[in-house]
Amino acid sequence: MTTATAMPESAQIEGVTDAINRDAVVALAGSEPQWLQERRVQAWEAYEATPMPTTRLEEWRYTDLSEKLKLDSFRLSEGPGPDVGDGRYPARVQQAMDEDWDASGHLVEIDGSVVHTDLTEELGRQGVILMSLREAVTKHPDLLEKYLATEAIPASEGKFQALNAALWTDGIFLYVPADVKLELPVRVTRWISEAGRAHFSRTLIVAERHSQVSYVDEILSPDLDTQSLAHDAVEVISQDGAQVQYVALQRMGKGAFYMSAQRTLAQRDCTLDTLNVSMGGSVTRVDLNARLLGTGSNSDMLGLYFGDSDQHFDHNTSQDHVSAHANSDLLYKGALDDESRSVFRGIIRVSPGAQQTDAYQTNRNLLLSDTAHADSLPNLEIEADDVKCSHGATVGQLDKESLFYLMSRGLSREQAERLVVMGFLGEVLSRLPLSGVSEKVTRVIEKKLAHI
Amino acid sequence: MPENELVEGLGLDEYKYDFETEHKPVFRAEPGLNERVVRQISEHKGEPEWMLNFRLKALEIYESKPMPDWGGDLSTLQETLDEIYFYVRPQDKMEHSWDDVPDNIKDTFEKLGIPEAEQKILAGVGAQYESEMVYHSLRKEWEDKGVIFDSIEDGLKNHPELFKEYFGTVVPSADNKFSAMNSAVWSGGSFVYIPKDVHLDTPLQAYFRVNQERMGQFERTLIIVDEGANAHYIEGCTAPVYSTDSFHSGVIEIIVKKNARFRYTTIQNWSNNMYNLVTQRAIVHEGAHMEWLDGNLGSKLTMKYPSCFLVGEGAHGDILSIAYAGDGQHQDTGGKVVHAAPHTTSSIVSKSISKGTGRSSYRGLAKVYDGATGAKSNVECDALLINETSRTDTFPYIEVGEKTANIGHEATVSKVGDEQLFYLMSRGMSEEEAMALIVRGFIEPIAKELPLEYAVELNRLIELEMEGSVG
Repeated sequence: MTTATAMPESAQIEGVTDAINRDAVVALAGSEPQWLQERRVQAWEAYEATPMPTTRLEEWRYTDLSEKLKLDSFRLSEGPGPDVGDGRYPARVQQAMDEDWDASGHLVEIDGSVVHTDLTEELGRQGVILMSLREAVTKHPDLLEKYLATEAIPASEGKFQALNAALWTDGIFLYVPADVKLELPVRVTRWISEAGRAHFSRTLIVAERHSQVSYVDEILSPDLDTQSLAHDAVEVISQDGAQVQYVALQRMGKGAFYMSAQRTLAQRDCTLDTLNVSMGGSVTRVDLNARLLGTGSNSDMLGLYFGDSDQHFDHNTSQDHVSAHANSDLLYKGALDDESRSVFRGIIRVSPGAQQTDAYQTNRNLLLSDTAHADSLPNLEIEADDVKCSHGATVGQLDKESLFYLMSRGLSREQAERLVVMGFLGEVLSRLPLSGVSEKVTRVIEKKLAHI
Repeated sequence: MPENELVEGLGLDEYKYDFETEHKPVFRAEPGLNERVVRQISEHKGEPEWMLNFRLKALEIYESKPMPDWGGDLSTLQETLDEIYFYVRPQDKMEHSWDDVPDNIKDTFEKLGIPEAEQKILAGVGAQYESEMVYHSLRKEWEDKGVIFDSIEDGLKNHPELFKEYFGTVVPSADNKFSAMNSAVWSGGSFVYIPKDVHLDTPLQAYFRVNQERMGQFERTLIIVDEGANAHYIEGCTAPVYSTDSFHSGVIEIIVKKNARFRYTTIQNWSNNMYNLVTQRAIVHEGAHMEWLDGNLGSKLTMKYPSCFLVGEGAHGDILSIAYAGDGQHQDTGGKVVHAAPHTTSSIVSKSISKGTGRSSYRGLAKVYDGATGAKSNVECDALLINETSRTDTFPYIEVGEKTANIGHEATVSKVGDEQLFYLMSRGMSEEEAMALIVRGFIEPIAKELPLEYAVELNRLIELEMEGSVG
């Protein structure tokens, strides 16, 4: 076994072979502490032992990976070139960051390596940690050994969760000590530029008792002429009484396959809210599992998608009510234009004994074109009797009466349509009023609507 | 049967159809399913060659399909299937008068109140005992108008062209494992034809009785409702309680032609050791109207999703489903609507009650094909949980490829509210009476659609089942 060495100066990922294989895992693990080396190798073994999901599985019924994902053709990410570094970013990254100055801290990840972090001095003094996951391996080994791919997303969760745990190159570690409250969000900007590559990144957020934090992740890429995979494993762990907001904003280009496995663990009296905004990419697959582990915990789960051209979105959510007296409320809304397709599959699971659960789930879809397609599968599995659970799903077109009203007031059909779509999607944004996020998402939607 | 006598005879959760009758069948195939059994069935029925081939091909399909890994627990089903009798011939011919039915079989149906109901409220009655229809009769006035209501075997014999044109077209053998099984070993069931513009003002009823232990019943029903016609068909099912599991797998095929209306009502009250895996489907043509009224009260496990394929413009499908899952029961039921033509409309309303360790699951599909402009579908599921150990699930599938479609699904799960109970008790009701009243109110939208005697019986059942369920 090799011993841990210092971090390489360059952000370049060291010793990575080209293909997705065991050698790559061993090379990545080379300079890491033993516990992590073991975890990577075990994860690789789990990956190899798990069959590739097929449409025979309920959870993959409408997303055929054999057709949509060219996993064998990928090479692994090489990391950012020498011309990208602190202060020197691709134009779109710079643009996205320029809108985000109002923040407790920033982090920038380029092609699977973190190239910049900043955090206000005051928060640093209070013990808040925001850093590259690779750096955290050496600087905060105790916290990482405890939380990384253990409680939230162990490699045993699934084929891709295992692959990520074996091959992650970098990611984000955010730690908020007990009673510390961040007034402004932490903003993360990530950029994928390599075509034909697979990127594996992890996010680990630990919010200690009664802390408070909002986290906004934005992932971007140009249009890619051959498919690239951006795979994220997101673990959000919030201890008693913490308040956490997690926002993922996906604005990748054509050719990108964005896959995000997210799990939130809410202990007693936590508020743990999430928002997934899926706008870009050719294929998007989000697996979000909210676990309500403590009494009095609460999760609002919001989602927004807008498809055009041949985009494919698949949101697979679950609300696990393990403990009594917890609430969850899910609202996913989407508009689909051109030949885009959306799949929503959500499940509320109420465990035996999780009495006094309030759990809701709503998925609404707007079809804007003759060739768009929406599938919705809102499921319930209830094993306690004293609960209030409901779900609803709709697929429909723009409300004719609203259009007529607006047009009678002098708006053109296009203007009226845009306004109605905006109103439809806006409901989601108004539920999570986080500075900067609504404005940014609204602009992206407006841009998409301009093509209608 | 007078009400007090009925109630006296019943304790809590007691199943009133638990009586067996001594009757020696004229033929019984060996247990289990194989080619020999299939050939024997076909031979006993004196079938044409094409039907034997149809059966043998279905057997192949059955053997090639895996056991479903969804729905209810089928893990020990294969053991049951190896032991049950797939074909039991109770007597050699079917009768058209109750007087000719052997006494011990007639006795069974008299206990179930069938001959009495026939006199009072029905246009026609069919009665199946084990594998064969033992009685079939239709009022003369309807016979004169060209209505056909016969056993499926007589349908094949007496109306071969009509039969061959439609048989197996609505539910192909390969549709699912159990439709393949039924296609291989089907026996009994009804063949119904309602001629153009004939309106039956009273229902046709078929009654299915399994009497013997370790019995498999595989009725097959084919119903053709011609243009502008209107009819209602009711099936009821019961069996005695045995310590071993029994098996029932029917296939019901219905064709509702242009501007016709048809309602199919099932009140399934199988004993709690019965697997009930049924495929029911209707093809609904232009301007036609199909209604499924599906009541699942009995069985150990039911997997049944009546469906409407709306293939003509303006076709309409209604599915009303009610499930009651008591201790040890799993009702995996629901409905499917497929919109394949413009301006088709559908509605699914499902109500379920889970009590004790019972589990009720709604599983349904609302699908709209591209081009089915203006299609509308609405699905509503409500589940009521009575005890801490009760369980309910909802698994709807919504697939929409048409922009102008309007599809909605809603489900709620609740327990009987403390406030509701408190209010009724403050008005002088006991807790049990209050509970029964609330549950009756919950299923009322469906119960009111049932023929009177079934509605009365459903209410009685709920009352009895609610006894001692409080606290």
